[in-house]
Amino acid sequence: MPRFLFLVACASIVASTMVVAQGPVDLNGVWGAAALPPAVEPGKSVRWLLPLKGVDPEGTDVFKGLDRIQVNNRAAAPNKPAYKPELVAKVKELSDKQGVLDPAFYCKPQGVPRMGPPSQIVQTPGQVVFLYGASNLFRIIPTDGRPHRADADPSYMGDSIGRFEGDTLVVDVTNFNDDTWLGSDGYFHSEKMHVVERLTRKGDVLTYTATVEDPLVLATPWTLPVRQLKLSKSAADALLEAPPCVEHDAPHIVTLDHH
Amino acid sequence: MKRFAVALAIAGVVSGSSVLAHHSFAAEFDINKPITLQGTVTKVEWVNPHVYVYLDVKDASGKVTSWALSSLSPGAARRAGVTRANFGQGQTVTISGYHAKDASNFAFMRKMTFADGHSVELWLGDDEAKK
Repeated sequence: MPRFLFLVACASIVASTMVVAQGPVDLNGVWGAAALPPAVEPGKSVRWLLPLKGVDPEGTDVFKGLDRIQVNNRAAAPNKPAYKPELVAKVKELSDKQGVLDPAFYCKPQGVPRMGPPSQIVQTPGQVVFLYGASNLFRIIPTDGRPHRADADPSYMGDSIGRFEGDTLVVDVTNFNDDTWLGSDGYFHSEKMHVVERLTRKGDVLTYTATVEDPLVLATPWTLPVRQLKLSKSAADALLEAPPCVEHDAPHIVTLDHH
Repeated sequence: MKRFAVALAIAGVVSGSSVLAHHSFAAEFDINKPITLQGTVTKVEWVNPHVYVYLDVKDASGKVTSWALSSLSPGAARRAGVTRANFGQGQTVTISGYHAKDASNFAFMRKMTFADGHSVELWLGDDEAKK
């Protein structure tokens, strides 16, 4: 009898291994959660600085320093979207007025691909669901072979269909509106934008890449910086409802400082 | 403190959560106009992209003026361990910060100090760079 149980156990291990090997990669989970400290007890003092390297917190450079560090970090990025020569001036003009023109400032969705990788993936037969914890947004991505739908309006996150290529989920996204930017420096796009996202799992690390084509505005396809996300194993990282975005600042913007 | 800040920076890099775009603080607030307000917290609005605190300030004649104060984002506050419960709804507090450039009753809140002396400060910078 014990020998019989042993054989059953072996058979079930082999069977489950075969199922995993034959099916698509398992992307389920919360990815890239920030490790948060315990909440400070009310009544206790706390002092925390948003890190701004080299900026004296008691000096008069704090606000300007925040803008400057962000602008310089982006300027130093090795790969930026390359626009058609006749549109380079328009990108600069939008960038100079970014403080009032960036659609994301007005609580609109950042859209694909600027919103980045999902914070949680829910994978079921025939579809994958991307959940975005910071914005309470979601995307439903069919993986059953159906084509893009023809009956939807252009949208911020576009129309997605997915397929598995080995360890990689490939998501093809079309039908965007033009009310998002690719980044903070005036990187506009047209409704003809086409995005291909690739999500590859190796062990407990998910690698996310996205490539943008836009035949109307980009000179060449642009691939965003690669993002790598760790699988969360802590119950504390379960997604919570994010605070809504409520725009209060626009009436008080008096200068065009670039952020 | 430095090690803590470095750890947070790394967490930010590996984090997958998308950060909401913020307005430039420099476009709204004047770092050269520090301001101190004492009053009662009437509302703590825990929203993106910035937490808002509303304060009723009473002058010597008894006239009440309502102020709005912007803090960092709810996500940044939480990375500091600060939740809505730390922001003193209904309590009498002293807030130090920086006045809005448009001179309205609006300011950036740097620090909230409570009657018992404890304080909550969410600010920006690098203590290593102090002059």
